[in-house]
Amino acid sequence: MDRYCSYPRPVRDLRPGDHAWLAYANEEERRHVMAGFVRDGLRSGEKVVYLADPDAGADAVPGLPCEHADGLLSVVPFDRGGGAGPEAALEALAAEAARAGPERYRAVRVTADLTWAVRRPGGLATLLDREREWDRLVAPSVRLIAVCQFDRRACDAAALAGLRACHGVRVDPNPEFEDSVLKIVRTFQPTGLSLRGELDASRHTVLDEALSTVLSGAGGREVHLDLAGLGFIDLGAINLLADAAARRRGAGPLVLDSVSPQLRTVMDTVGWSMLPGLRVAGVD
Amino acid sequence: MRLEHRAFLYGGPEEFLAAAVPFLRAGIEAGEAVVAVVREANRGALRDTLGDDARAVDLYTSEGFYVHPVRTLKDYQRIVAANAPRRVRALAEPVWTGWDDRQLLEWTRYESLINVVFEGSGARALCPYDRASLPEPVIEQARRTHPLLLSERTGGGAGPGEWNERYVDPVSFGTRCDRAQRFDRPGDAEYLPIEDDDLHGLRTFVAERAAAHGVGARAVRNLVTAANEVAANALRHGVPPMGLWIWRDGDEVLCEIADHGLWRPGPLTGFIPPESALDRGFGLWTVRLLVDLMELRSGWDGTFVRLRVRV
Repeated sequence: MDRYCSYPRPVRDLRPGDHAWLAYANEEERRHVMAGFVRDGLRSGEKVVYLADPDAGADAVPGLPCEHADGLLSVVPFDRGGGAGPEAALEALAAEAARAGPERYRAVRVTADLTWAVRRPGGLATLLDREREWDRLVAPSVRLIAVCQFDRRACDAAALAGLRACHGVRVDPNPEFEDSVLKIVRTFQPTGLSLRGELDASRHTVLDEALSTVLSGAGGREVHLDLAGLGFIDLGAINLLADAAARRRGAGPLVLDSVSPQLRTVMDTVGWSMLPGLRVAGVD
Repeated sequence: MRLEHRAFLYGGPEEFLAAAVPFLRAGIEAGEAVVAVVREANRGALRDTLGDDARAVDLYTSEGFYVHPVRTLKDYQRIVAANAPRRVRALAEPVWTGWDDRQLLEWTRYESLINVVFEGSGARALCPYDRASLPEPVIEQARRTHPLLLSERTGGGAGPGEWNERYVDPVSFGTRCDRAQRFDRPGDAEYLPIEDDDLHGLRTFVAERAAAHGVGARAVRNLVTAANEVAANALRHGVPPMGLWIWRDGDEVLCEIADHGLWRPGPLTGFIPPESALDRGFGLWTVRLLVDLMELRSGWDGTFVRLRVRV
């Protein structure tokens, strides 16, 4: 069945019957999301079948080492040297999933990076045919969870529309934090955080943790904050941002990409110079 | 470098110009950053008398510059910082008409705070007071808030002035100002207890009530940010029970946050501009900027922070 959109779902919320796609912005996002997929499965005793290049080495599967991997993880080497197409890849996955004895597990997670199949001359049409077949296999299943990974940089608009139409679910990174008032999400292009909701002193700790994680992972690169969806930010959190920017002196800058009207009013009142070390888009 | 903060009591346009012009010219000659903030009524005459020298002076009108005391302190501080390491020389004539008693008190306090905020700046300020038209209490307060008084004896506008015996240090002065505040509250003020460190409900309460009382959208946003900060302070430093009242009084909406704790704000709390958002004083200073007036009282019965916003 073709759809106009895929339902967005954080990787931790995937469930049997989900035929999902991940359109990653870069390798960092791919590993971040797929590590969650692999670990969530292994920790809850589910079978994980991961298709990988035979020469990819120990690093092929994100999320490892994981203490529960024994017996649960199958890495399926797939050699495209002979010009094998997506059909062969998906068959290899299905065969390994079947060999595992799906009935023994609560769920069987299968995944492969199929970017190469998009890149092949005329590859998109073939791929979409196979993806539709998979959708018929996975969607009604009570055991199978499938994630097809694609590098967004290799996909044009037609490829993205086609892939969207034959996957019921789009995988999103897990939010760094989420409750009824505040949601913090990692962004990968650019590297940073996106905040929605309201932020006051009761949630400074979660902002601090999310900021520390993304800042330490970013090394010398810029870290961007998208605060457009933040209906309220308290003065303590502004202090916290200034502190993060100050600690980052010498490394890549902390950049505010967009701010809400409330934050803009506060900063226009006190002056943006109160946030030294913080670069603000649209403010000199 | 020490601040030179002089008052100058003048008795008419000629006396005003006779002091102001040499004061400004001395700054131009010394290569200082020269600023003049004068009332509309004095502006034309000052510019004419300065002639070509007017181009070396940043000229503002008092009516636009003296709107909110804490913002004015911030604006002067920005001028000082932007010109550093050059010294700033300012002819600074506040507006003393059109305020109610409470606002007059805050402008008086402002003159006193200049002595703290710019203490080490090396700035030279000359504050003209119109002896002929200003009420006696305003002149009287000028003698308490300026360490130096200008006189002909000590060289007029370009001279150093003389030490003012009646000057009161800003901490004592601020304490006196605080004592003059009245903290009564009407019986029909709406109350919300503060019991949880999630202040979402408090923000909704303040926003709805302030809007219902006729406060504009931007001022509501600022009041909510300010009330949230004060409530967060109460939660951190105060002692329960604590709560928030909101009510309308004439053309103002008042929002008061009270707790039973002993965090004792001093008379300078929140008045001194911080270096950046990293400074400890950033929160309450920002609160003062966001509302028309913040008043603090701490006593045996707790700590009370009152925020006033005009409708």
